[in-house]
Amino acid sequence: MELLRESYEIQGRNFDKAGEVSGEIKVVLKDLGIEAAHLRRLVIVAFEAEMNVVMYARKGVMTLIVTDDDICLETTDEGPGIPDIELALQEGYSTASDEMREMGFGFGMGLPNMKKNSDEFRVESEVGKGTSVFTKIRLPADG
Amino acid sequence: MAELKHGFRIDEAKCRGRMDCMRTCPTRAIRVKNGKARLIPELCIDCGSCLTVCPSGAISATTLSFAELDRFKFKVAVASPALFAQFGMNDTPMSVGRALIDIGFDAVWEYSVDIELIDRAIAAFVKTWPGPFPLISNSCPVVVRLIQVAYPTMIEHLIPIEAPREIAGRELKRRYSQELGITPEKIGAIYITPCQAKTISILQPAEEEKSYLDGAVGISQIYNDILTKLRAAGKPEGNGSKKFSFAGELFHWGAPEGEFPNLSREHYLPLTGLTDIIKVFNDIEKGKLRNIEFLECHACQGGCVGGNLTVENIYVARSKNLRLAANRPKSVAAFEEEVRRRFAIEDFALRRTPKPRKIEGESVDLRERVLRKKRADDLHKALPRLNCGLCGAPTCKSHAEDVAAGRAGIADCVFLSPERIVELRSLYIGRRETG
Repeated sequence: MELLRESYEIQGRNFDKAGEVSGEIKVVLKDLGIEAAHLRRLVIVAFEAEMNVVMYARKGVMTLIVTDDDICLETTDEGPGIPDIELALQEGYSTASDEMREMGFGFGMGLPNMKKNSDEFRVESEVGKGTSVFTKIRLPADG
Repeated sequence: MAELKHGFRIDEAKCRGRMDCMRTCPTRAIRVKNGKARLIPELCIDCGSCLTVCPSGAISATTLSFAELDRFKFKVAVASPALFAQFGMNDTPMSVGRALIDIGFDAVWEYSVDIELIDRAIAAFVKTWPGPFPLISNSCPVVVRLIQVAYPTMIEHLIPIEAPREIAGRELKRRYSQELGITPEKIGAIYITPCQAKTISILQPAEEEKSYLDGAVGISQIYNDILTKLRAAGKPEGNGSKKFSFAGELFHWGAPEGEFPNLSREHYLPLTGLTDIIKVFNDIEKGKLRNIEFLECHACQGGCVGGNLTVENIYVARSKNLRLAANRPKSVAAFEEEVRRRFAIEDFALRRTPKPRKIEGESVDLRERVLRKKRADDLHKALPRLNCGLCGAPTCKSHAEDVAAGRAGIADCVFLSPERIVELRSLYIGRRETG
Protein backbone atom coordinates (compact mmCIF):
# COMPACT_ATOMS: atom_id res chain seq x y z
CA MET A 1 0.00 0.00 0.00
CA GLU A 2 1.19 3.47 -0.82
CA LEU A 3 2.04 5.36 2.35
CA LEU A 4 3.62 8.53 1.09
CA ARG A 5 3.99 10.36 -2.21
CA GLU A 6 5.85 13.62 -2.54
CA SER A 7 7.07 15.49 -5.59
CA TYR A 8 9.99 17.85 -5.88
CA GLU A 9 10.76 20.22 -8.73
CA ILE A 10 14.25 20.30 -10.19
CA GLN A 11 15.54 23.30 -12.13
CA GLY A 12 17.66 22.47 -15.16
CA ARG A 13 21.07 24.09 -15.69
CA ASN A 14 21.18 25.38 -12.15
CA PHE A 15 24.40 23.92 -10.82
CA ASP A 16 24.29 26.18 -7.83
CA LYS A 17 21.23 24.40 -6.45
CA ALA A 18 22.23 20.97 -7.70
CA GLY A 19 21.86 18.35 -4.99
CA GLU A 20 19.23 20.17 -2.97
CA VAL A 21 16.35 17.91 -3.93
CA SER A 22 18.27 14.73 -3.20
CA GLY A 23 19.40 16.33 0.06
CA GLU A 24 15.80 17.00 1.02
CA ILE A 25 14.74 13.48 0.11
CA LYS A 26 17.59 12.12 2.20
CA VAL A 27 16.37 14.01 5.26
CA VAL A 28 12.82 12.71 4.78
CA LEU A 29 13.99 9.12 4.41
CA LYS A 30 16.37 9.37 7.34
CA ASP A 31 13.59 10.77 9.53
CA LEU A 32 11.47 7.82 8.46
CA GLY A 33 14.19 5.61 9.91
CA ILE A 34 15.13 3.89 6.66
CA GLU A 35 18.05 1.63 7.50
CA ALA A 36 21.55 2.80 6.50
CA ALA A 37 22.32 0.36 3.68
CA HIS A 38 19.06 1.14 1.86
CA LEU A 39 19.33 4.83 2.61
CA ARG A 40 22.78 4.96 1.02
CA ARG A 41 21.51 3.42 -2.21
CA LEU A 42 18.51 5.74 -2.28
CA VAL A 43 20.67 8.82 -1.79
CA ILE A 44 22.96 7.81 -4.67
CA VAL A 45 20.01 7.15 -6.98
CA ALA A 46 18.34 10.44 -6.06
CA PHE A 47 21.53 12.43 -6.54
CA GLU A 48 22.35 10.93 -9.94
CA ALA A 49 18.78 11.41 -11.13
CA GLU A 50 18.82 15.01 -10.01
CA MET A 51 22.18 15.66 -11.69
CA ASN A 52 20.93 14.26 -14.98
CA VAL A 53 18.06 16.73 -14.95
CA VAL A 54 20.32 19.61 -13.92
CA MET A 55 22.86 18.81 -16.66
CA TYR A 56 20.58 18.15 -19.60
CA ALA A 57 17.00 19.25 -19.09
CA ARG A 58 15.07 22.50 -18.74
CA LYS A 59 13.28 21.20 -15.71
CA GLY A 60 12.09 18.03 -14.09
CA VAL A 61 10.14 16.51 -11.25
CA MET A 62 11.27 13.84 -8.85
CA THR A 63 8.59 11.89 -7.05
CA LEU A 64 9.25 9.87 -3.92
CA ILE A 65 6.82 7.05 -3.27
CA VAL A 66 7.01 5.05 -0.06
CA THR A 67 5.00 1.85 0.25
CA ASP A 68 5.01 -0.93 2.82
CA ASP A 69 7.51 -2.92 0.80
CA ASP A 70 9.62 -0.53 -1.21
CA ILE A 71 10.66 2.99 -2.03
CA CYS A 72 10.38 4.34 -5.58
CA LEU A 73 11.97 7.38 -7.09
CA GLU A 74 10.52 8.54 -10.39
CA THR A 75 12.19 11.33 -12.26
CA THR A 76 10.59 12.90 -15.31
CA ASP A 77 12.18 15.75 -17.20
CA GLU A 78 11.57 18.06 -20.13
CA GLY A 79 14.84 17.65 -21.94
CA PRO A 80 16.50 16.48 -25.11
CA GLY A 81 15.69 12.81 -24.54
CA ILE A 82 18.05 9.87 -25.01
CA PRO A 83 18.35 8.54 -28.58
CA ASP A 84 20.00 5.24 -27.62
CA ILE A 85 19.18 4.08 -24.11
CA GLU A 86 21.30 0.91 -24.39
CA LEU A 87 24.33 3.04 -25.11
CA ALA A 88 23.54 5.52 -22.34
CA LEU A 89 23.49 2.64 -19.86
CA GLN A 90 27.09 1.68 -20.61
CA GLU A 91 29.55 2.74 -17.95
CA GLY A 92 31.68 5.63 -19.06
CA TYR A 93 29.43 6.65 -21.94
CA SER A 94 28.80 10.35 -21.57
CA THR A 95 27.57 13.25 -23.63
CA ALA A 96 28.58 15.79 -21.00
CA SER A 97 30.26 18.95 -22.19
CA ASP A 98 33.77 19.94 -21.12
CA GLU A 99 32.19 22.57 -18.93
CA MET A 100 30.21 19.92 -17.04
CA ARG A 101 33.27 17.73 -16.66
CA GLU A 102 35.23 20.61 -15.28
CA MET A 103 32.62 20.91 -12.57
CA GLY A 104 33.16 17.28 -11.71
CA PHE A 105 30.10 15.83 -13.43
CA GLY A 106 29.45 13.80 -16.50
CA PHE A 107 31.70 10.78 -16.02
CA GLY A 108 29.18 8.59 -17.73
CA MET A 109 28.36 6.85 -14.47
CA GLY A 110 24.98 8.40 -13.76
CA LEU A 111 22.52 5.93 -15.25
CA PRO A 112 24.75 2.87 -14.67
CA ASN A 113 25.20 3.93 -11.06
CA MET A 114 21.45 4.31 -10.62
CA LYS A 115 20.86 0.92 -12.16
CA LYS A 116 23.47 -0.69 -9.94
CA ASN A 117 21.93 0.77 -6.80
CA SER A 118 18.30 -0.06 -7.45
CA ASP A 119 16.33 -3.30 -7.44
CA GLU A 120 14.17 -2.27 -10.36
CA PHE A 121 15.22 0.21 -13.00
CA ARG A 122 13.53 1.44 -16.17
CA VAL A 123 14.21 4.33 -18.55
CA GLU A 124 11.71 5.74 -21.02
CA SER A 125 12.66 8.52 -23.37
CA GLU A 126 11.41 10.40 -26.36
CA VAL A 127 13.92 12.47 -28.31
CA GLY A 128 13.04 16.14 -28.20
CA LYS A 129 10.51 15.72 -25.39
CA GLY A 130 12.13 14.25 -22.32
CA THR A 131 13.15 11.28 -20.22
CA SER A 132 11.61 9.37 -17.34
CA VAL A 133 13.61 7.16 -15.00
CA PHE A 134 11.83 4.76 -12.64
CA THR A 135 13.76 3.17 -9.80
CA LYS A 136 12.66 0.94 -6.97
CA ILE A 137 14.50 -0.18 -3.87
CA ARG A 138 12.91 -2.97 -1.87
CA LEU A 139 12.78 -2.79 1.91
CA PRO A 140 13.43 -5.80 4.14
CA ALA A 141 10.21 -7.62 5.06
CA ASP A 142 10.36 -6.73 8.76
CA GLY A 143 10.30 -3.04 7.94
CA MET B 1 22.27 -1.38 23.84
CA ALA B 2 23.31 -0.16 27.25
CA GLU B 3 22.05 3.20 28.43
CA LEU B 4 23.88 5.99 26.61
CA LYS B 5 26.27 7.93 28.72
CA HIS B 6 27.38 11.44 27.98
CA GLY B 7 30.45 13.46 28.76
CA PHE B 8 28.66 16.12 30.77
CA ARG B 9 25.74 16.52 33.14
CA ILE B 10 23.09 19.17 33.56
CA ASP B 11 22.70 20.28 37.15
CA GLU B 12 18.98 20.77 37.48
CA ALA B 13 19.26 22.98 40.57
CA LYS B 14 21.55 25.40 38.77
CA CYS B 15 19.68 25.33 35.45
CA ARG B 16 17.63 28.48 34.93
CA GLY B 17 16.14 27.36 31.66
CA ARG B 18 17.74 30.12 29.61
CA MET B 19 17.68 27.98 26.45
CA ASP B 20 21.12 28.94 25.11
CA CYS B 21 22.06 25.27 25.14
CA MET B 22 18.90 24.30 23.26
CA ARG B 23 19.47 26.92 20.58
CA THR B 24 23.10 26.03 20.02
CA CYS B 25 22.80 22.24 19.95
CA PRO B 26 23.68 21.09 16.41
CA THR B 27 21.61 17.90 16.63
CA ARG B 28 18.61 19.47 18.42
CA ALA B 29 19.03 17.16 21.35
CA ILE B 30 17.91 19.54 24.09
CA ARG B 31 14.44 20.58 25.22
CA VAL B 32 13.62 23.10 27.93
CA LYS B 33 10.36 22.25 29.66
CA ASN B 34 9.15 23.83 32.92
CA GLY B 35 12.22 26.01 32.97
CA LYS B 36 14.68 23.11 32.99
CA ALA B 37 16.89 21.77 30.22
CA ARG B 38 16.93 18.08 29.52
CA LEU B 39 18.73 15.95 27.04
CA ILE B 40 17.46 13.48 24.45
CA PRO B 41 20.36 11.10 24.97
CA GLU B 42 20.21 9.27 21.65
CA LEU B 43 20.55 12.52 19.68
CA CYS B 44 23.45 13.92 21.69
CA ILE B 45 26.85 13.65 20.00
CA ASP B 46 28.87 15.05 22.91
CA CYS B 47 30.13 18.08 21.04
CA GLY B 48 29.99 20.15 24.22
CA SER B 49 28.52 23.25 22.57
CA CYS B 50 25.92 23.44 25.34
CA LEU B 51 28.56 23.37 28.01
CA THR B 52 30.33 26.35 26.49
CA VAL B 53 27.24 28.57 26.17
CA CYS B 54 25.39 27.83 29.42
CA PRO B 55 25.06 31.19 31.24
CA SER B 56 24.23 29.53 34.56
CA GLY B 57 27.18 27.17 34.79
CA ALA B 58 24.74 24.29 35.06
CA ILE B 59 26.44 22.03 32.53
CA SER B 60 29.72 20.48 33.51
CA ALA B 61 32.02 17.86 32.08
CA THR B 62 32.10 14.47 33.75
CA THR B 63 35.84 14.13 34.01
CA LEU B 64 37.56 12.29 36.82
CA SER B 65 38.46 14.19 39.94
CA PHE B 66 42.05 13.97 40.98
CA ALA B 67 41.10 12.17 44.19
CA GLU B 68 39.44 9.40 42.18
CA LEU B 69 42.79 8.56 40.64
CA ASP B 70 44.13 7.36 43.93
CA ARG B 71 42.55 3.97 43.47
CA PHE B 72 45.41 3.21 41.07
CA LYS B 73 48.75 2.09 42.36
CA PHE B 74 50.60 3.63 39.43
CA LYS B 75 49.18 6.54 37.48
CA VAL B 76 50.34 7.28 33.96
CA ALA B 77 49.40 10.49 32.15
CA VAL B 78 48.74 10.36 28.42
CA ALA B 79 48.73 14.05 27.60
CA SER B 80 46.93 15.41 24.56
CA PRO B 81 49.43 17.52 22.59
CA ALA B 82 46.99 20.40 23.16
CA LEU B 83 48.22 20.51 26.76
CA PHE B 84 51.66 21.73 25.74
CA ALA B 85 50.24 24.70 23.88
CA GLN B 86 48.52 26.07 26.99
CA PHE B 87 51.45 27.63 28.77
CA GLY B 88 54.08 30.29 28.17
CA MET B 89 56.25 30.44 25.08
CA ASN B 90 59.22 29.35 27.16
CA ASP B 91 57.54 26.43 28.88
CA THR B 92 58.82 23.38 27.07
CA PRO B 93 56.91 20.13 26.81
CA MET B 94 59.62 18.69 29.02
CA SER B 95 58.91 21.13 31.84
CA VAL B 96 55.14 20.63 31.50
CA GLY B 97 55.78 16.88 31.67
CA ARG B 98 57.77 17.34 34.86
CA ALA B 99 54.96 19.40 36.33
CA LEU B 100 52.57 16.50 35.65
CA ILE B 101 54.82 14.30 37.75
CA ASP B 102 54.97 16.96 40.44
CA ILE B 103 51.20 17.14 40.73
CA GLY B 104 50.96 13.42 41.33
CA PHE B 105 51.37 11.29 38.22
CA ASP B 106 53.90 8.50 38.44
CA ALA B 107 54.83 8.65 34.78
CA VAL B 108 54.15 10.62 31.62
CA TRP B 109 53.72 8.50 28.55
CA GLU B 110 55.71 9.11 25.36
CA TYR B 111 52.52 9.76 23.46
CA SER B 112 54.25 11.08 20.36
CA VAL B 113 55.21 7.52 19.50
CA ASP B 114 51.59 6.38 19.45
CA ILE B 115 50.59 9.35 17.34
CA GLU B 116 53.30 8.52 14.83
CA LEU B 117 52.29 4.85 14.81
CA ILE B 118 48.67 5.71 14.00
CA ASP B 119 49.81 8.15 11.30
CA ARG B 120 51.63 5.31 9.66
CA ALA B 121 48.83 2.82 10.18
CA ILE B 122 46.39 5.25 8.56
CA ALA B 123 48.68 5.93 5.61
CA ALA B 124 49.10 2.17 5.05
CA PHE B 125 45.37 1.54 5.38
CA VAL B 126 44.39 4.29 2.94
CA LYS B 127 46.62 2.73 0.28
CA THR B 128 44.90 -0.63 0.36
CA TRP B 129 41.31 0.52 0.95
CA PRO B 130 39.07 -0.26 -2.04
CA GLY B 131 36.44 2.33 -1.09
CA PRO B 132 34.14 4.00 -0.33
CA PHE B 133 36.16 7.20 -0.17
CA PRO B 134 36.95 9.43 1.56
CA LEU B 135 37.98 7.63 4.69
CA ILE B 136 37.28 9.74 7.77
CA SER B 137 39.45 9.99 10.87
CA ASN B 138 37.88 8.69 14.07
CA SER B 139 40.12 10.27 16.68
CA CYS B 140 37.52 12.97 17.40
CA PRO B 141 34.66 11.20 19.25
CA VAL B 142 32.19 13.90 18.20
CA VAL B 143 32.79 13.15 14.54
CA VAL B 144 32.17 9.45 15.12
CA ARG B 145 28.94 10.19 16.99
CA LEU B 146 27.80 12.71 14.40
CA ILE B 147 28.07 10.00 11.76
CA GLN B 148 26.28 7.46 13.97
CA VAL B 149 23.39 9.84 14.54
CA ALA B 150 23.08 12.00 11.43
CA TYR B 151 25.04 10.26 8.64
CA PRO B 152 24.34 6.56 9.10
CA THR B 153 25.07 5.94 5.41
CA MET B 154 28.65 7.05 5.94
CA ILE B 155 29.51 4.67 8.76
CA GLU B 156 31.79 2.68 6.45
CA HIS B 157 33.84 5.78 5.77
CA LEU B 158 35.13 5.84 9.35
CA ILE B 159 38.64 4.48 9.29
CA PRO B 160 38.76 1.21 11.27
CA ILE B 161 42.01 2.08 13.04
CA GLU B 162 42.31 2.64 16.79
CA ALA B 163 42.78 6.21 18.04
CA PRO B 164 46.34 6.90 19.20
CA ARG B 165 45.22 7.43 22.82
CA GLU B 166 43.76 3.92 22.86
CA ILE B 167 46.90 2.16 21.72
CA ALA B 168 48.83 4.32 24.18
CA GLY B 169 46.65 2.95 26.98
CA ARG B 170 47.10 -0.61 25.76
CA GLU B 171 50.87 -0.38 25.47
CA LEU B 172 51.50 1.49 28.71
CA LYS B 173 49.52 -1.06 30.70
CA ARG B 174 51.47 -3.85 29.11
CA ARG B 175 54.82 -2.21 29.66
CA TYR B 176 54.37 -1.00 33.23
CA SER B 177 52.67 -4.13 34.47
CA GLN B 178 55.67 -6.05 33.19
CA GLU B 179 58.25 -3.62 34.53
CA LEU B 180 56.66 -3.15 37.93
CA GLY B 181 55.30 -6.66 38.33
CA ILE B 182 51.75 -5.50 39.09
CA THR B 183 48.47 -6.35 37.36
CA PRO B 184 47.27 -4.03 34.58
CA GLU B 185 44.20 -3.09 36.66
CA LYS B 186 46.44 -1.40 39.21
CA ILE B 187 47.86 0.86 36.54
CA GLY B 188 45.78 3.93 35.80
CA ALA B 189 46.01 5.09 32.19
CA ILE B 190 44.73 8.65 32.40
CA TYR B 191 44.19 10.84 29.37
CA ILE B 192 44.74 14.57 29.85
CA THR B 193 41.91 15.77 27.67
CA PRO B 194 41.12 19.01 25.84
CA CYS B 195 37.38 18.19 25.67
CA GLN B 196 34.65 16.26 27.45
CA ALA B 197 34.00 14.20 24.33
CA LYS B 198 37.14 12.15 24.81
CA THR B 199 36.04 11.44 28.37
CA ILE B 200 32.91 9.83 27.06
CA SER B 201 34.83 7.94 24.40
CA ILE B 202 36.73 6.34 27.29
CA LEU B 203 33.66 5.75 29.46
CA GLN B 204 31.60 4.38 26.59
CA PRO B 205 33.40 3.96 23.26
CA ALA B 206 31.19 4.38 20.18
CA GLU B 207 32.12 0.92 18.99
CA GLU B 208 30.80 -0.64 22.22
CA GLU B 209 34.14 -2.04 23.29
CA LYS B 210 35.99 -1.34 26.51
CA SER B 211 38.51 1.49 26.36
CA TYR B 212 42.15 0.75 27.16
CA LEU B 213 42.21 3.98 29.13
CA ASP B 214 40.79 4.34 32.64
CA GLY B 215 39.55 7.88 32.54
CA ALA B 216 40.31 11.45 31.64
CA VAL B 217 41.24 14.61 33.45
CA GLY B 218 40.41 17.91 31.76
CA ILE B 219 43.24 20.29 30.92
CA SER B 220 41.38 23.13 32.63
CA GLN B 221 41.07 21.01 35.78
CA ILE B 222 44.82 20.80 36.30
CA TYR B 223 45.90 23.98 34.53
CA ASN B 224 46.39 26.00 37.71
CA ASP B 225 48.29 23.25 39.47
CA ILE B 226 50.63 22.82 36.53
CA LEU B 227 51.12 26.55 36.21
CA THR B 228 52.00 26.79 39.89
CA LYS B 229 54.61 24.07 39.53
CA LEU B 230 56.00 25.67 36.38
CA ARG B 231 56.33 29.02 38.10
CA ALA B 232 57.63 27.68 41.40
CA ALA B 233 61.08 29.08 42.01
CA GLY B 234 64.00 26.75 41.70
CA LYS B 235 64.19 23.41 40.05
CA PRO B 236 61.18 21.21 39.54
CA GLU B 237 60.84 18.41 42.06
CA GLY B 238 60.94 15.85 39.21
CA ASN B 239 61.85 12.71 41.03
CA GLY B 240 64.66 10.75 39.42
CA SER B 241 63.18 7.35 40.12
CA LYS B 242 60.05 8.20 38.16
CA LYS B 243 60.11 7.15 34.58
CA PHE B 244 59.30 9.52 31.84
CA SER B 245 60.91 10.91 28.80
CA PHE B 246 59.85 12.65 25.65
CA ALA B 247 60.91 11.99 22.14
CA GLY B 248 60.87 14.42 19.25
CA GLU B 249 57.67 14.78 17.31
CA LEU B 250 55.09 15.63 19.87
CA PHE B 251 52.81 18.07 18.25
CA HIS B 252 51.22 17.13 15.05
CA TRP B 253 48.03 15.56 16.33
CA GLY B 254 46.66 18.50 18.28
CA ALA B 255 46.84 20.94 15.41
CA PRO B 256 44.41 21.02 12.51
CA GLU B 257 47.32 20.96 10.12
CA GLY B 258 47.91 17.36 11.17
CA GLU B 259 50.77 15.98 9.18
CA PHE B 260 50.26 12.81 7.30
CA PRO B 261 53.58 12.75 5.49
CA ASN B 262 52.74 9.54 3.68
CA LEU B 263 49.48 10.77 2.17
CA SER B 264 49.58 12.92 -0.94
CA ARG B 265 48.55 16.47 -0.14
CA GLU B 266 45.90 16.77 -2.81
CA HIS B 267 44.10 13.67 -1.58
CA TYR B 268 44.05 14.60 2.05
CA LEU B 269 41.79 17.21 3.60
CA PRO B 270 41.90 18.53 7.17
CA LEU B 271 38.61 19.95 8.48
CA THR B 272 37.75 21.61 11.75
CA GLY B 273 34.52 22.95 13.20
CA LEU B 274 31.17 21.14 13.18
CA THR B 275 29.53 23.55 10.75
CA ASP B 276 32.15 22.97 8.08
CA ILE B 277 32.23 19.26 8.75
CA ILE B 278 28.47 19.04 8.26
CA LYS B 279 28.74 20.90 4.93
CA VAL B 280 31.38 18.52 3.65
CA PHE B 281 29.55 15.44 4.95
CA ASN B 282 26.44 16.53 3.04
CA ASP B 283 28.52 16.59 -0.13
CA ILE B 284 30.05 13.20 0.57
CA GLU B 285 26.63 11.68 1.10
CA LYS B 286 25.62 12.90 -2.33
CA GLY B 287 28.64 11.25 -3.90
CA LYS B 288 30.72 14.37 -4.41
CA LEU B 289 34.33 14.67 -3.20
CA ARG B 290 35.42 11.66 -5.19
CA ASN B 291 39.09 12.60 -5.28
CA ILE B 292 39.69 12.90 -1.56
CA GLU B 293 41.13 9.82 0.13
CA PHE B 294 41.25 10.90 3.73
CA LEU B 295 39.45 13.53 5.79
CA GLU B 296 40.88 14.48 9.14
CA CYS B 297 37.94 15.93 11.05
CA HIS B 298 37.93 17.70 14.39
CA ALA B 299 34.64 19.03 15.72
CA CYS B 300 36.23 21.94 17.56
CA GLN B 301 37.07 25.01 15.53
CA GLY B 302 40.83 25.02 15.23
CA GLY B 303 41.20 21.36 16.23
CA CYS B 304 41.90 19.94 19.68
CA VAL B 305 43.65 23.10 20.87
CA GLY B 306 40.17 24.65 20.57
CA GLY B 307 38.60 22.03 22.86
CA ASN B 308 36.22 23.24 25.54
CA LEU B 309 38.42 22.06 28.41
CA THR B 310 41.42 24.04 27.22
CA VAL B 311 42.34 27.36 28.77
CA GLU B 312 44.34 29.36 26.26
CA ASN B 313 42.46 30.87 23.33
CA ILE B 314 42.99 28.87 20.18
CA TYR B 315 44.93 31.50 18.25
CA VAL B 316 47.53 31.91 20.96
CA ALA B 317 47.60 28.14 21.45
CA ARG B 318 48.14 27.56 17.74
CA SER B 319 50.91 30.09 17.60
CA LYS B 320 52.56 28.25 20.50
CA ASN B 321 52.06 25.01 18.67
CA LEU B 322 53.82 26.38 15.61
CA ARG B 323 56.67 27.60 17.74
CA LEU B 324 56.96 24.28 19.51
CA ALA B 325 56.92 22.49 16.17
CA ALA B 326 59.62 24.77 14.79
CA ASN B 327 61.83 24.17 17.81
CA ARG B 328 61.29 20.48 18.12
CA PRO B 329 64.39 18.38 17.79
CA LYS B 330 65.03 16.62 14.53
CA SER B 331 63.61 13.17 14.81
CA VAL B 332 65.82 11.29 17.20
CA ALA B 333 67.11 7.82 16.51
CA ALA B 334 65.58 6.40 19.68
CA PHE B 335 62.16 7.71 18.65
CA GLU B 336 62.46 6.24 15.16
CA GLU B 337 63.63 2.96 16.62
CA GLU B 338 60.73 2.75 19.06
CA VAL B 339 58.23 3.52 16.31
CA ARG B 340 59.75 0.86 14.08
CA ARG B 341 59.81 -1.72 16.86
CA ARG B 342 56.20 -1.21 17.86
CA PHE B 343 54.88 -0.85 14.31
CA ALA B 344 56.21 -4.29 13.50
CA ILE B 345 54.50 -6.08 16.39
CA GLU B 346 51.31 -4.21 17.23
CA ASP B 347 47.88 -4.50 15.67
CA PHE B 348 46.18 -1.13 15.12
CA ALA B 349 42.90 -2.36 13.67
CA LEU B 350 39.80 -1.16 15.50
CA ARG B 351 38.47 -4.07 17.53
CA ARG B 352 34.87 -3.48 16.54
CA THR B 353 33.41 -1.02 14.07
CA PRO B 354 30.77 1.47 15.23
CA LYS B 355 27.17 1.06 14.09
CA PRO B 356 24.54 3.70 13.32
CA ARG B 357 22.79 4.70 16.52
CA LYS B 358 19.20 3.63 17.02
CA ILE B 359 17.05 6.71 17.27
CA GLU B 360 13.87 6.68 19.27
CA GLY B 361 10.87 6.13 17.05
CA GLU B 362 12.58 3.54 14.92
CA SER B 363 11.00 0.86 17.02
CA VAL B 364 7.61 1.61 15.47
CA ASP B 365 6.90 0.34 11.96
CA LEU B 366 7.29 2.25 8.72
CA ARG B 367 3.56 2.88 8.46
CA GLU B 368 3.46 4.56 11.86
CA ARG B 369 6.57 6.57 11.06
CA VAL B 370 5.01 7.87 7.84
CA LEU B 371 1.85 8.79 9.75
CA ARG B 372 3.94 10.69 12.28
CA LYS B 373 5.79 12.50 9.56
CA LYS B 374 2.52 13.56 7.91
CA ARG B 375 1.12 14.64 11.24
CA ALA B 376 4.30 16.61 11.96
CA ASP B 377 4.16 18.28 8.52
CA ASP B 378 0.56 19.34 9.12
CA LEU B 379 1.31 20.60 12.62
CA HIS B 380 4.32 22.49 11.34
CA LYS B 381 2.13 24.40 8.91
CA ALA B 382 0.00 25.62 11.81
CA LEU B 383 3.02 26.90 13.75
CA PRO B 384 4.47 30.41 13.25
CA ARG B 385 7.84 29.09 11.98
CA LEU B 386 9.68 31.76 13.91
CA ASN B 387 11.73 29.25 15.89
CA CYS B 388 11.34 31.38 19.01
CA GLY B 389 11.95 28.36 21.20
CA LEU B 390 9.44 29.39 23.85
CA CYS B 391 7.67 26.04 23.55
CA GLY B 392 10.88 24.46 24.77
CA ALA B 393 11.91 22.98 21.45
CA PRO B 394 14.65 24.59 19.33
CA THR B 395 12.59 24.99 16.17
CA CYS B 396 8.94 24.87 15.14
CA LYS B 397 9.81 21.76 13.16
CA SER B 398 11.21 20.01 16.26
CA HIS B 399 8.10 21.00 18.19
CA ALA B 400 5.85 19.58 15.47
CA GLU B 401 7.85 16.34 15.50
CA ASP B 402 7.73 16.13 19.29
CA VAL B 403 3.96 16.58 19.23
CA ALA B 404 3.51 14.04 16.43
CA ALA B 405 5.51 11.51 18.40
CA GLY B 406 3.53 12.22 21.57
CA ARG B 407 6.45 13.76 23.43
CA ALA B 408 4.92 17.24 23.82
CA GLY B 409 1.60 19.03 23.63
CA ILE B 410 0.91 21.43 20.75
CA ALA B 411 -0.34 23.99 23.33
CA ASP B 412 3.23 24.60 24.46
CA CYS B 413 3.38 27.04 21.52
CA VAL B 414 2.73 30.59 22.76
CA PHE B 415 1.05 31.47 19.47
CA LEU B 416 -1.52 28.73 19.86
CA SER B 417 -2.20 29.18 23.56
CA PRO B 418 -1.73 32.58 25.17
CA GLU B 419 -1.89 30.95 28.64
CA ARG B 420 1.56 29.65 27.89
CA ILE B 421 2.88 33.23 28.09
CA VAL B 422 1.37 33.60 31.55
CA GLU B 423 3.05 30.39 32.59
CA LEU B 424 6.38 31.49 31.19
CA ARG B 425 6.07 34.89 32.81
CA SER B 426 5.65 33.41 36.26
CA LEU B 427 8.41 30.91 35.56
CA TYR B 428 11.01 33.36 34.28
CA ILE B 429 10.13 36.84 35.46
CA GLY B 430 8.69 35.67 38.76
CA ARG B 431 11.81 33.71 39.40
CA ARG B 432 14.03 36.69 38.73
CA GLU B 433 12.18 38.75 41.36
CA THR B 434 12.70 36.13 43.98
CA GLY B 435 16.36 35.93 43.31
